[in-house]
Amino acid sequence: MNRVISALFWCALALVIAFIALPIVVVFAASLSPTGDVTFRPWEWTVKWYFDLASERWLGPFWLSVKIAIVVSVVSGAIGTVAAYVVAYEKFAGSEVVMAALLSPLSVPQIVKGVAVVLFLSVIGLQPLLGTPALIAGHCVLALPFVVRMVATSIANFDCNLFRAGQILGANQWQRIRFILLPAIKPGVLSGVTFAFIISFNNIPLSVFLVRPGETTLPITVINYLEYSLDPVMAAVNVASMAFILIVIFSFEKLGGFSAQLHGGSK
Amino acid sequence: MGRTRLIFTVSAFAVAALATPLRAETLVVNSYGGPYEAIIRKAIIEPFEQRTGIDVVYDPVGSASQDYAKIKATRGRPGFDVVVMTASQSLQGCKDGVLEKLDANSIPNLAKLSRRMTETAGPCGAVHEVQYMSLLYRTDKLATPPVSWSALASSDLAGRVVLPTFQNTMAIYLVEMFSLMNGGDLVDNLAPGFRAVAVIAKQSIGFEQSSAILESYIKDGTVWAMPFWSGRAQLLVDSGLPVDYVKPKEGTIPLVATLNIPIGAEHKDAARKFIDFFLEKTSQEAWVGGYKVGSARTDIDVPAAVRARQITSDADLNSLHLPNLTTVAERLPKWAEQWERDVVAHAN
Amino acid sequence: MTIIALEMPGKPRVFARGWIRFLGLSPATCLLVFFFALPMGMMIGMSFHNPSSQGVSLLSYSRFFTDGLSLLGFWRTTLMSSLVAISATLLAYPVAYYLARSRGRWRSIVFAIALAPELAGVVLRTYGWLIILEDRGFINDVLLHAGLISSPLPLSKNLFAVVIGLTHVVLPFAILSLTTSIQGIDDNLERAAQILGAPRHAVVWHILLPLSVPGLISSFLLSFTMAASAYATPALLGGASFKVLATMISEQVLFYIDWSFAAVMANALLILMLVISYAGIRFEAGCRQKYQSVAGGMK
Repeated sequence: MNRVISALFWCALALVIAFIALPIVVVFAASLSPTGDVTFRPWEWTVKWYFDLASERWLGPFWLSVKIAIVVSVVSGAIGTVAAYVVAYEKFAGSEVVMAALLSPLSVPQIVKGVAVVLFLSVIGLQPLLGTPALIAGHCVLALPFVVRMVATSIANFDCNLFRAGQILGANQWQRIRFILLPAIKPGVLSGVTFAFIISFNNIPLSVFLVRPGETTLPITVINYLEYSLDPVMAAVNVASMAFILIVIFSFEKLGGFSAQLHGGSK
Repeated sequence: MGRTRLIFTVSAFAVAALATPLRAETLVVNSYGGPYEAIIRKAIIEPFEQRTGIDVVYDPVGSASQDYAKIKATRGRPGFDVVVMTASQSLQGCKDGVLEKLDANSIPNLAKLSRRMTETAGPCGAVHEVQYMSLLYRTDKLATPPVSWSALASSDLAGRVVLPTFQNTMAIYLVEMFSLMNGGDLVDNLAPGFRAVAVIAKQSIGFEQSSAILESYIKDGTVWAMPFWSGRAQLLVDSGLPVDYVKPKEGTIPLVATLNIPIGAEHKDAARKFIDFFLEKTSQEAWVGGYKVGSARTDIDVPAAVRARQITSDADLNSLHLPNLTTVAERLPKWAEQWERDVVAHAN
Repeated sequence: MTIIALEMPGKPRVFARGWIRFLGLSPATCLLVFFFALPMGMMIGMSFHNPSSQGVSLLSYSRFFTDGLSLLGFWRTTLMSSLVAISATLLAYPVAYYLARSRGRWRSIVFAIALAPELAGVVLRTYGWLIILEDRGFINDVLLHAGLISSPLPLSKNLFAVVIGLTHVVLPFAILSLTTSIQGIDDNLERAAQILGAPRHAVVWHILLPLSVPGLISSFLLSFTMAASAYATPALLGGASFKVLATMISEQVLFYIDWSFAAVMANALLILMLVISYAGIRFEAGCRQKYQSVAGGMK
């Protein structure tokens, strides 16, 4: 009986893993297949769809998404880190309320946030902000709680005796921040920044309302296209997009090593 | 230190990249997406950009009725300068005062269009294409070509038809035709039409909005017969597929497609240039050849094959059932809800 | 040699003056006020506004409750989210148990596979399911070729497809949430039962599952809220006739530009989320109490 339960468990685990991997494998195969049907005949595979990606209609939105994601991750990383520092380290009266306020956007669905922003901009007449500026601001609001939470966790793990040691050894305020605090919270900040980048680059529900013709992000361009056809170029776009994100994560990991953050210790 | 520098350079790059350089004149054109975009880009937009140096931004979001809803809701400032809609919306928009009146002084090629066809669209629409709703079928799956619209409801096509969503103009056309066939008429009494289409809905595999997706069903043989625009149907025939299309014996309804300019458009001059360009002899010939549709221009060279099967003359147009488009436009929202209730709700 | 007794009260302050605090918080505050708080407030206010008349009006609310389609969309959203939450929680359990209890190289691999889809983005995964489920897609293709069916199964453009697609989308989060809560279950309890001779199915049934209930419920609630606010997956996999609150809201905003009605639907969605989240918080607090008393201070 024990063996049956064990077998059932491993079966279930394998099936769920297969379920998770299935669509990704399928899209990958479709992007290489000559007709766009999913075939697993590697000798028929072609990369011709990937060459279609080199046109302006895909590169334009791609670069826009990249630009926005960079700005969003830098801005929300900076704002979030500073805010997290103030709330998590200084711990003044009411800091819990402030923390809750900083994290409040998390409980509102993205689509509702998007409607609210576009309504707000239309009503106060700032419609020209739609497009890149509104996208950046919207994504920052989206990413901020995540950055704040990750940096705050890092700061909570920070041993303030290190500051004392620095003070004893004669370091002034700025030196203490730069040489003691920042390196210690680096994993938290970098994982927040990476997260902000991914959230911004892949975002759809919030961005749907904030784009404008000519200034449309890559995911929105893709779903607009999918309403009209199931072209195999879509598969190539999606795979290329995912590869890009993996490269970004890999680079950030090399830069700062936030896998330490995940494992909960210092590297 | 190296990292700080990196962050600074990245931010500087971002700021620089964001600063939009001074651009040539722009024009926002709203039309359909997917493969249609490729056709219109090649046949019209790229030659236009080359000739005028105007930078065209393509906006593929929205069907004709969705675009009109946006124009109305924004009181004529929807964010695009030229939009592809139909004669129905052109008439409605003129009445509602949200579409710009187009005249031959600013758009000379308007004078070259057939008067009968321009009449259907009124003074706020420029007719750039004419098609009709045909019955498309698989020649290898049906023993004999269908002759009547009621073939869609026949039992040998159970599970072998597909219907458009209400956003696609074919939906209401189908209701109107079936109304006509069952004792009702084109605009006043549509109840028989809704009943008949509800019957077809029961044996349809579903509802799709875009023509590109609809045609994929008949391409792979899932669907054996369906209503489809004549121009696109011809494209499918030309591509070598075992399909063909007919104008059923009860007749059909034409689709008069128009170019419109919202009254609050930002780049009206460029918009008028675009419409004039689209209506030129060479452009219309390219459009007719590339998209297999009929044109309202009276003086173009149309290949005989196209002339035989598309609407290319007033006589062709007059032989079809044209409802009072103003009434249609007024009642469309009510019919949309009726479609949801009477047709979609009863589908399988 | 002097012993320096350092009496440093409290945490060493980096900044002596308090106003630096507010300087640090002001960018975040500005951003959240201008692009979150004010818009949200305006949206709630807009729902009580009628475009054709002045002042407070409940016109849009009455339209929401009487036009039949809105409530249908609300019901569909709830139904779809419940189904997604159930299936995501069920599928997440084996993976979460494995991640919570195992160590070693395979764990990292499974962890990566479980989370990687999130990086692929919603569109890639939804498109993948579309290719798999559609009438000429992977599944139907295989079944037709094998002669098992004569015409394609309607697996796409309906509730079934949306539930599968959304389950896949929320699964990484369900797994993470369940893993954390299973890690909180003392595995000594399982070991003790085994030492005392209980067969594995008894261990699962009498110990593991009852203690997992809080985690299962919070995973359910998390998946529910994520599914209810999803946009892209219902739009692409549900087809034009499967409208949920999110797609209905977007239609109102993008085309009909009826701010008031859109705001009402957005508020409805928000209330649904808040009610579910609140239920979750209360339930979790209640369960924690129960757990403390049951475990009798064992951990």
